[in-house]
Amino acid sequence: MTDKPDRPAVTPHVAVLASPLKRARGLGSARSGSGAWWAERLTSVALVPLTLWFIASIISLEGTSRAGVIAWLQAPVPLVLMLCMIVATFWHMEQGLRVVIDDYLRNDVMRMTMLLLNRGVCAIAGLLCVVSVLRLGL
Amino acid sequence: MVALRLPANSRIKQGQTYKASAHAKRVRKFHIYRWNPDDGANPRTDTYELDLDACGPMVLDALIKIKNEVDSTLTFRRSCREGICGSCAMSIDGVNTLACLKPIGDVRGAVRITPLPHMAVVKDLVPDLSQAFAQYRSIEPWLKADTPPPPNGERLQSREERAQIDGLWECILCFCCTAGCPSYWWNGDRFLGPAILLQAHRWIVESRDEATGERLEALHDPFKLYRCHTIMNCTNTCPKGLNPAKAIGAIKRLIVERQV
Amino acid sequence: MALSIAHRATGIALSVGTLLMTWWLVAAAASDHAFAMVQGFLGSGLGVFLLLGWAAAALLLHFFLGIRHLAWDAGWGFGILAQQEPVGMGSGSRIYRITGWGVIGVTVLATLTVWIAGLISWR
Repeated sequence: MTDKPDRPAVTPHVAVLASPLKRARGLGSARSGSGAWWAERLTSVALVPLTLWFIASIISLEGTSRAGVIAWLQAPVPLVLMLCMIVATFWHMEQGLRVVIDDYLRNDVMRMTMLLLNRGVCAIAGLLCVVSVLRLGL
Repeated sequence: MVALRLPANSRIKQGQTYKASAHAKRVRKFHIYRWNPDDGANPRTDTYELDLDACGPMVLDALIKIKNEVDSTLTFRRSCREGICGSCAMSIDGVNTLACLKPIGDVRGAVRITPLPHMAVVKDLVPDLSQAFAQYRSIEPWLKADTPPPPNGERLQSREERAQIDGLWECILCFCCTAGCPSYWWNGDRFLGPAILLQAHRWIVESRDEATGERLEALHDPFKLYRCHTIMNCTNTCPKGLNPAKAIGAIKRLIVERQV
Repeated sequence: MALSIAHRATGIALSVGTLLMTWWLVAAAASDHAFAMVQGFLGSGLGVFLLLGWAAAALLLHFFLGIRHLAWDAGWGFGILAQQEPVGMGSGSRIYRITGWGVIGVTVLATLTVWIAGLISWR
């Protein structure tokens, strides 16, 4: 009797037979990514002084009435700094959350949906804040 | 969406215990991850008790002693036993390092040994490094120069130029850093990882290489390079004392330098 | 490593916290009543906790960790590139540990300062 070779009864199906090099190269370099990286650094740097100013202002505004807040925002410096802080914050927030979504979501549909939601919510919330501040200040 | 437990066939079970002889005085326990692809069983943790007085100082000495005298089925890569080949990279006491350079005395209590994290396991402590080496191949780690070499074949390099690759050429591709990077765990199929990026930087700062722009463009990708978030596990774990995080930071700065 | 994930966690928590800031600004622009409602919430137990813990502690930790990240991006604070003695148990080079503990220390001091200043201003 000939020896039966060691083989499972059913040949396992392998879905991916592409070489490791093919998989490592993927679709090639996108030749982009530094723009987003640099912009994130810019918003971070901008937020260093703006955040400190914001915390100090909030503390000084504690207990103020609505009229007091409006009066504070009517001076041009707090108004402009507040606008800068809002824009920088929501932009920075969008960038940071985008990185988190890219890291953790592998399913393309889910990832794209969350990325769009991210931009949408940040844009809308940012606009709400900007418009409110302009309404108060102007 | 997110799996908080390992799949049922991957959960690590308690394995066998191999006791030391009765007259052993300095006994240390080694809890070692075992898995055999051929027997269909779950991975398990086997415990080996060794007499340290009869064993060399490094964790690799313990592994070799176990394989020689206790359990010859224990499988692991090793070669030079002096920290230059990179074969024995594994997770010892929770830190990725080379077994041949890790003194047993540095570990307090029982020594836990598992394969490099988040890598496919071939058997026991042997990881599947084919993806990592394919990523190495993909950065084209050889000299690319259009200028023909001088007649005697030797491309000249000053001392200062040679110093540029210090801290980069010493990498032995053990992949301790790459296997310790959370970004590589989650996106290892597209992110190159610290070891490969360190080598990419080695070729970018090589003074005799003339394809620097091409190399930077090949890395300029939201996944290949920019999944690095300076988590710093790589530099903290390198058994050769190298600094992949710093090299990656330098690549990012070079790319921006071209366009700002 | 713990600081790295803390940076991400505080970032995500702060992103949710901007909703609070949005509410405050929209209410201020809307009417006296809306503003009174949001000020009332901020004065409540939950509101104070959110302000102290979230707006102050999380913000300041993310802020100082962020500065450490910016220093790394500029190339400072990594230690040297050339081969050096591996620092044993994977705990990191000296400058990494110094900046790490430095951030924690500065955050604690700043948070306490903000809390005290806030309480004084409230009285």
